[in-house]
Amino acid sequence: MTTRAEQELPELYGQNKATLGRLLAHGGLGRAEEGSDGRLHAHVRIPPDELMWEPSIVVMPHGGDLEIELLNDDTNTHCALLPSNGDSKWMWLPVYSRGKTVLNLDGPGYYWFGSNVGNDEGRGLVGVIAVMGDVPQEARLDRPEQPRP
Amino acid sequence: MEYIDAPPAVNFAALSTMVGTAPPVAQDVTYERILRARSEPQNWLTYYGAYDGQRYSPLDQINTENVQRLTPAWVFQFGSSGFHAGQSTYAFEAAPIVVDGVMYLSGWDGWVWAVDARTGRQLWQYKHAIPFDVSLCCGNVNRGVAVAHGKVLATTLNAHVIALDAVSGELVWDTTNGDVRAAESATVAPLVVKDKIIVGSSGGEFGVRGHLDAYYIETGERAWRTYTVPKPGEPGSDTWPDGPAWARGGGNAWVTGTYDPELNLVYWGTGNPAPDFDGAVREGDNLYTDSIIALNPDNGEIRWHYQCTPHDVWDYDSNMECILYDLDGQKLLAHFDKNGYLFTLDRRNGERVRITPFGERITWGEIDGDGRVTPKVVPDKEGEPVHFWPGPAGAKEWTHAAYSPRTEMFYVPVQDVGSEVTLRHREFKESIPYWGASVTVDADDMQGFVKAISAATGEEVWRWRNETPMSASALATAGDLVFVGRPSGEFTAFHARTGEPLWEFQTGSGHHSSPTTYSVDGRQFIAVPVGWGSWIEGIVPAMLGASHGDAVFAFALPQ
Ligand SMILES: [Cu+2]
Repeated sequence: MTTRAEQELPELYGQNKATLGRLLAHGGLGRAEEGSDGRLHAHVRIPPDELMWEPSIVVMPHGGDLEIELLNDDTNTHCALLPSNGDSKWMWLPVYSRGKTVLNLDGPGYYWFGSNVGNDEGRGLVGVIAVMGDVPQEARLDRPEQPRP
Repeated sequence: MEYIDAPPAVNFAALSTMVGTAPPVAQDVTYERILRARSEPQNWLTYYGAYDGQRYSPLDQINTENVQRLTPAWVFQFGSSGFHAGQSTYAFEAAPIVVDGVMYLSGWDGWVWAVDARTGRQLWQYKHAIPFDVSLCCGNVNRGVAVAHGKVLATTLNAHVIALDAVSGELVWDTTNGDVRAAESATVAPLVVKDKIIVGSSGGEFGVRGHLDAYYIETGERAWRTYTVPKPGEPGSDTWPDGPAWARGGGNAWVTGTYDPELNLVYWGTGNPAPDFDGAVREGDNLYTDSIIALNPDNGEIRWHYQCTPHDVWDYDSNMECILYDLDGQKLLAHFDKNGYLFTLDRRNGERVRITPFGERITWGEIDGDGRVTPKVVPDKEGEPVHFWPGPAGAKEWTHAAYSPRTEMFYVPVQDVGSEVTLRHREFKESIPYWGASVTVDADDMQGFVKAISAATGEEVWRWRNETPMSASALATAGDLVFVGRPSGEFTAFHARTGEPLWEFQTGSGHHSSPTTYSVDGRQFIAVPVGWGSWIEGIVPAMLGASHGDAVFAFALPQ
């Protein structure tokens, strides 16, 4: 049985309660949507005084290009360090700013992103981009289907 | 409230003094040049320096007389930014490639760099985004790149093969080579042969089916795939039982092979069978695991094989180097196996020339001069511990011996560490570790050696003892020097003929990589990546908590 952290231990849920920062990945889950341009699109915001991404789990249905829009609704400056093939993307996020960038992730698994200033990450500004799907058929092993956990 | 526009996102490397481009020196690196690599000793054009795998350089500016004056010329440091996979297990294992003053190398977690080989200044970087949740047997590592036709070619931990533009570092093509959901990954440095690169897969500890693949350098299109475990009906399938064992048989080819252009044969070592220790579920010899296989690089056809440990239940991968050398008119191949024996074969047909032990304590079994294998300690009773030397790290790990044609000796990093293994049968599930045993590596009673072995007889000529197992590749030069790094951080030069240590430098982090030598404008450099980590608990458990760096040191004589 699992309960939500805020029910189980309310004094743990939030900034500077039982702990100094937020527990990991508590900004919910959002799905990237496929646009007519063949790209995936997602929006992530930083709500005021929460020090977290909302959503903090962004789901891509498959590998490829993700256009991600970041909105800083907080009254503090943050930034974003995002995984992408080629190089990580880095973006300033001044107060009440928004900006877009395109990431390329080429296969299933999950990837971290964060705000690498002032230990924002330790305080809650850390998130996950989860890529679903399988590798192309030709890259899979020539063998019968095997049991999975 | 009106939003303002955030400043545009930038590539993280833009916030550095990195140059951004490299001179176009890789444009003219062709197969023909790599064939004659030893005729341009200023460069280190392919994984072992030349196709023969000798890890030998004709450069002799640095020699036994002046090596005491060797000093650091530059240091390239990187560190990591953001989160990176398996922080506790990364290691810097690359073998740097050098072309006309530019060094190309790869690091942990999807990094590839071009560095000015004279100054250490970073020219460009490429980062492949690696999922945090990939299954990795033995650490977050990569063993290096290949360079040809203006491209830098590498494999990634999420089992992709990539080609980068050697001038800009930009991605040219990206081909998926394996299935991360089946726990496949890739750590091998590609080998250029003609118009293709050959790469092997990783994942044997998770029960995959090992394979070697060739890709066209220009397009990334796959030319062939050869599985190292045959399916029913294929040659060698009679060495597997009926049932699913073959499909999970391991035998991954995760270390770079060597090549004889005259015979047109590529020699590649294969990994342990899966499950590592539970032999009951895979009765038989389990070909082509723990083998040296010779393939036609044009179509992947296996021409001959020699299995070093039939029906392995000790985790004795045979991925180690196959050194090609000629002696007294014989065309030979030397392979220092994890099982503690040196296999000397006729490389035309795989016939045995001689088998000699080089490991220090060998108790798992015995191999006689006729190649007969007698197992002695076998983990075959559920829950009952057995102890054997060498442990699963082997008498030598994947790191490489060197061969000097001047001294006609091999220089071998040796590990002497045992292990207790208890059979614990488990059912196979994709992407879950599939060992079939509980393993505890000895942490106290261990040591290491650099041993010099006569290529003519397989007998030991000299040895140098270290407190801990030696787990970095050796480099031999025409200056009659042998360079080997140590787990404790020292980079040490030995007299190739006597074994006398002549010079040493403390680099601040343990060595688990392959040093390179090259020269720029007539000045010889010795370069070595240092960065302690990966599967240390299996190799040198007493050093698991040691300093954890990530730097390339380049040494030269003072100007
Ligand atoms: Cu193994």
